[in-house]
Amino acid sequence: MATPIIMPRQGQSVESCVIAQWLKKVGDPVAVGDDLFTYETDKAAFEETSKVAGEVLAIFFDVGADVPCLTTICVIGEKGEDISAFSPAGAAVPLGPAPDSVAPAPSPAAPTAPAPATVPAADGADRRISPRARHLAGRRHADLRAVVPTGPKGRVIERDVVALIDRGAIATPAAGTDWPVGTVGTAIGGRVGVADAAGDPAAVAAPAAAPAPASAAATGLPPSREEKHSNIRRLIAKSMSLSLGTIAQLTYTASFDATEILAFRARLKKAKEAGLADTLGLAGADPSLNDVILFAVSRILARHPACNASFQDDRMIYYDGVNLGLAVDTPRGLMVPTIFRADRLSLAEISREAKALAAGCQKGTISPDRLKDGTFTVSNLGSLGIESFTPVINPPQTAILGVDRLATAVRDVGGVAVPYPTMGLSLTCDHRAVDGAPAARFLKDLGAALENFSLVLAN
Amino acid sequence: MTKKLTILPQEMRRPGFIEFEKIPVNQYNRTIEEEKANFSKADFLRIYRDMRFIREFESMLYSIKTTNAYNGIEYNNPGPAHLSMGQEASAVGQAYLLTTDDFIFGSHRSHGEILAKGLSAIHRLSEGDLTAVMEGFLGGATWKAVETFHAGKGKSVKDLAVDFLIYGALAEIFAKETGFHRGLGGSMHAFFLPFGIYPNNAIVGGSASVSVGAALYKKINRKNGIVVCNIGDGSMACGPVWEGLMLSAMDQYRSLWEGDMQGGLPFLLNVMDNQYAMGGQTRGETMGYDFLARIGAGVNPEQMHAERIDGYNPLAVIEAMGRKLDILKAKRGPVLLDTLTYRWSGHSPSDADSYRTVEEKNAWIAEDSIAAYRARLVQAGVANDDEFAAIDANVIETVTNAVQMAVDPLISPRMDLAKTPTAIEDIMFSNTRVAKMEDREPDVLMVKADNPRVQAIAKKERFAFDAAGKPVSKNKVYQYRDAVFEALIDKFYEDPTLVAYGEENRDWGGAFAVYRGLTEALPYHRLFNSPIAEAAICGSAVGYAMAGGRVVVELMYCDFLGRAGDEVFNQLPKWQAMSAGILKMPVVIRVSVGSKYGAQHSQDWTSLCAQIPGLKVVFPVTPYDAKGLMNAALAGTDPVIFFESQRLYDIGEQFHEGGVPKESYEIAIGEPDVKRAGGDITILTIGATLYRALDAAKILSEKYGVEAEVIDARTMVPFDYEKVIASVKKTGKILIAGDACDRGSYLSDLVRNIADFCFDDLDAPPVVLGSRNWITPAFELEADFFPQPDWFVDAIHERIMPLPGHTPKRSFTDVELLRRSKLGV
Repeated sequence: MATPIIMPRQGQSVESCVIAQWLKKVGDPVAVGDDLFTYETDKAAFEETSKVAGEVLAIFFDVGADVPCLTTICVIGEKGEDISAFSPAGAAVPLGPAPDSVAPAPSPAAPTAPAPATVPAADGADRRISPRARHLAGRRHADLRAVVPTGPKGRVIERDVVALIDRGAIATPAAGTDWPVGTVGTAIGGRVGVADAAGDPAAVAAPAAAPAPASAAATGLPPSREEKHSNIRRLIAKSMSLSLGTIAQLTYTASFDATEILAFRARLKKAKEAGLADTLGLAGADPSLNDVILFAVSRILARHPACNASFQDDRMIYYDGVNLGLAVDTPRGLMVPTIFRADRLSLAEISREAKALAAGCQKGTISPDRLKDGTFTVSNLGSLGIESFTPVINPPQTAILGVDRLATAVRDVGGVAVPYPTMGLSLTCDHRAVDGAPAARFLKDLGAALENFSLVLAN
Repeated sequence: MTKKLTILPQEMRRPGFIEFEKIPVNQYNRTIEEEKANFSKADFLRIYRDMRFIREFESMLYSIKTTNAYNGIEYNNPGPAHLSMGQEASAVGQAYLLTTDDFIFGSHRSHGEILAKGLSAIHRLSEGDLTAVMEGFLGGATWKAVETFHAGKGKSVKDLAVDFLIYGALAEIFAKETGFHRGLGGSMHAFFLPFGIYPNNAIVGGSASVSVGAALYKKINRKNGIVVCNIGDGSMACGPVWEGLMLSAMDQYRSLWEGDMQGGLPFLLNVMDNQYAMGGQTRGETMGYDFLARIGAGVNPEQMHAERIDGYNPLAVIEAMGRKLDILKAKRGPVLLDTLTYRWSGHSPSDADSYRTVEEKNAWIAEDSIAAYRARLVQAGVANDDEFAAIDANVIETVTNAVQMAVDPLISPRMDLAKTPTAIEDIMFSNTRVAKMEDREPDVLMVKADNPRVQAIAKKERFAFDAAGKPVSKNKVYQYRDAVFEALIDKFYEDPTLVAYGEENRDWGGAFAVYRGLTEALPYHRLFNSPIAEAAICGSAVGYAMAGGRVVVELMYCDFLGRAGDEVFNQLPKWQAMSAGILKMPVVIRVSVGSKYGAQHSQDWTSLCAQIPGLKVVFPVTPYDAKGLMNAALAGTDPVIFFESQRLYDIGEQFHEGGVPKESYEIAIGEPDVKRAGGDITILTIGATLYRALDAAKILSEKYGVEAEVIDARTMVPFDYEKVIASVKKTGKILIAGDACDRGSYLSDLVRNIADFCFDDLDAPPVVLGSRNWITPAFELEADFFPQPDWFVDAIHERIMPLPGHTPKRSFTDVELLRRSKLGV
């Protein structure tokens, strides 16, 4: 009995994944536990291991295909089995009768029921929609997943699609329909463009200027290799340039006396060495200086709401809690997992979460659901010796904190130069949302908190 | 009703007795010797020949029906063959004295009458006339087949004409394109107009009222000849036959019609009294008249000059016909002949004679008219057996030749609908414009401009609103009824053949005063009151048009359509196509859709008419449209059912800028009209519902900001969807409304087509808003029966587009509609 292998759904928000690499080809034998293929969401990469044994009978999608979750992408079974029933609508790569064939030639034998143009299959199965509304949505690439039906019997009628269009839930034809509900359109006419469609809705606010493709020949050097952007790289590129292209951001730098937090860390270390970890409930928590800063930020932000907010065209959205984004360097590129409700977590808890999230990012096993909905981001380049930098805001957040390296400064104490440890903070704020003085006040408060960290722990 | 005749109690209440004349029964008793003074040997023999032709023709059909062969020629004929073996003398005797100016109409059993009349016509026409008829008929298709088949045989024109007649009728029976009507009429309609053979009719008694209409045409338009209606004794109980009789015998022809128009109709009702109504025995079983000729005594004081004649003796029939022709030419008609005969062939080949004894049949066969006639001629020394044998041989050869030709698919092909798919649709309507059916001065009583109604109308405001936009009062505004009148009076002064009649048409001016003023303008013979006899009113209109005239008749209430069911559904729509386009049918039936008068006087039956192929159906609801569409109907040659609404006779024109033009103009039949522009929803209406739709549109606009585009269908058949489709493409939504009960209505037909044509543009299923499937209740309850403005809003809210803040008063939910359907209400 042939078994269809579907594109897994990694998290509720994931509509589709991109096939990164095929590790098997048609005709290859497969054992249980063998890796079949790797795939990426916008932010993470995964490997799919086989739960069945047999032979790869068919592969329906080529590398790079963006496949809706739960769609059959390949079939494993015994040689010669009929797999025609498994061919998904819209498969880019047809059934391959020859084991090595990956040529994307359309197969006339494959049933090619056209996928609904505007309503994703996973969403529209039992939706009632008038032909007129469907056509209008199709023409304008309106996002029917977000439609509010007002017709008889819950039917979507024309005016509902018109409302959708008025709300901006429309896309350019190139963007297709496979993008998260609620994506803010930034292309012409407020439509969701390719850039929007590819990105986290929270991460894209404005269109990227299309970069002129650099010609390898223009450098006069022979290229050693070319590497297509990974999905994550594309996202980072777009997100960063969109951020810089559209947000009035500037960076404030300040430093604080790190004596207290270093002392605090030293005490922790000592207590652990003394075997008090369990006694003090610190098992598994080894708060780094960064964790300490994360903790302080999570507490300070409550009094600086403009820095813990979303900037929209016509309004600010302030948040009661703090979802703290944590910039993590990974082999695939920058990732920003979120510590949800960091304001309610203890230092130990923050520390544990930060570690787990960073590890998940490193391994690529992080759930895409953990890669969104941040309200403030902390990016630490201090460990890499950076003295000061201008972190780039993750829209629609209004601020991001860069953590610089530890240094030694001297202080004039009664005419004597007294050295003390210091740390730099680089706060980038969206000036549209946060003016200079409030930004400075946030830095000042944060510095004060860190200099008096043991007192902060009290709240 | 007329003031010229007074009905006084002194006279009406006077005692006395009704006296009857004796009704002759089989009084002919001449010998052959005596008849030699009236008939030459050739005449005697021709009578024999004609009877033999009929006998041979029908024997051939019987043989083909029962053995699939005749004289060794094989053929399968699935069509009907109602044979009349035994009745030959009646047919030949009747035709003997008739000319081509005399028309005969027939029944389903009329092969014999057709051949007899045809043979008589061939005898009477000159060779030149015959050649012209044959060469010109239907482009010469029948003639070409005959001419080719008999080429080189040295046949005379008259002999070829006999071949033409036998072959043309047979090819028609076999549904061949070379038949008299390209095979579209068939056995029961194998008539041939150039010989004065008018349609025979597959509906029992169907010809009775139709033929009276032809007689009216002859009388009113001063045409030569009489009209004979041949029907069977089995039809004598049919209501429409009685209605035809009553219409044919109206007193007014003598009491009121003036000048040369005074006098009876040239109409002879000849009953082929063969004793059986299919299987029911008329005399003694299903009827009570004892002698059919008795009926005449119940119709008029002249007793319709009725008598029973011996239809088994051709000479007796000829003698009687001679006397009756004199009566008819003296304008003393109508006449009833009870032509006694006997059909010893079955009703059809499947007849097992279960209703009669072998002895009875054999007794009649023993007195077979042909054998008896021949024996008498031999006995009287008119001719010997050899001469008769030669006639027999010629008849058999002629019929055999005709069969040979008719079964040959090369000589006699069928209509090829694969090759010419529009062959039938092209003749469903004639679609010709004929301003006047005849070019002569029309009979009128005054100069049109002097007509009091015309003068009154001239003073009226032709638009419903004055310059300030205020409504003009009812008394001053040019009304819907004026528009219909204006179109009609214009045509009365243009087409001399145009007549109008119906109930209360003269003097009263029609129940709804449309004809007021016409009484002054027109002599009786162009505008008269008919008896309350809707079948005869509509049926006679069919015959009047068949004969060549234009006619407008009226059904006072739409509900009376049922009384004219056969005439409107079976006769009027069929004859143009059944005659292969030879007959034209310039008939307008004005049908007034009632209101206020309850269940049997307030029904919109437009859908019934629209369902029948061959009728044009219009329902104008504004004065401008009424005049334009009436003009179009009157200019054409197709039957038009012209619906009017009793709610609207007094309304003025509210839409056409500048009001209703004084001059004549036409509106193409089939074009809907946008009465209110809008972009949000389309409302298509049939009939007076338009005004309620406009009220609904006002509510939609004012309360809900929804702009409805309201389209008035104006016409149902034909119907050009173009404007409706364009509107639905714009709005995506349509509600179709009318006063017909919604189940099975034409509204549903429109919905089906629009759902199909506009599927991709639709934002909601098209919705029908018709009347409830109830009786029409009393006027006071009508608002719960006919679609009202708030119903539109409710239906739109429930089924098309919920209207924010709207609370429907009536339920248009699935549950409710399913419940009603389940109950059949």
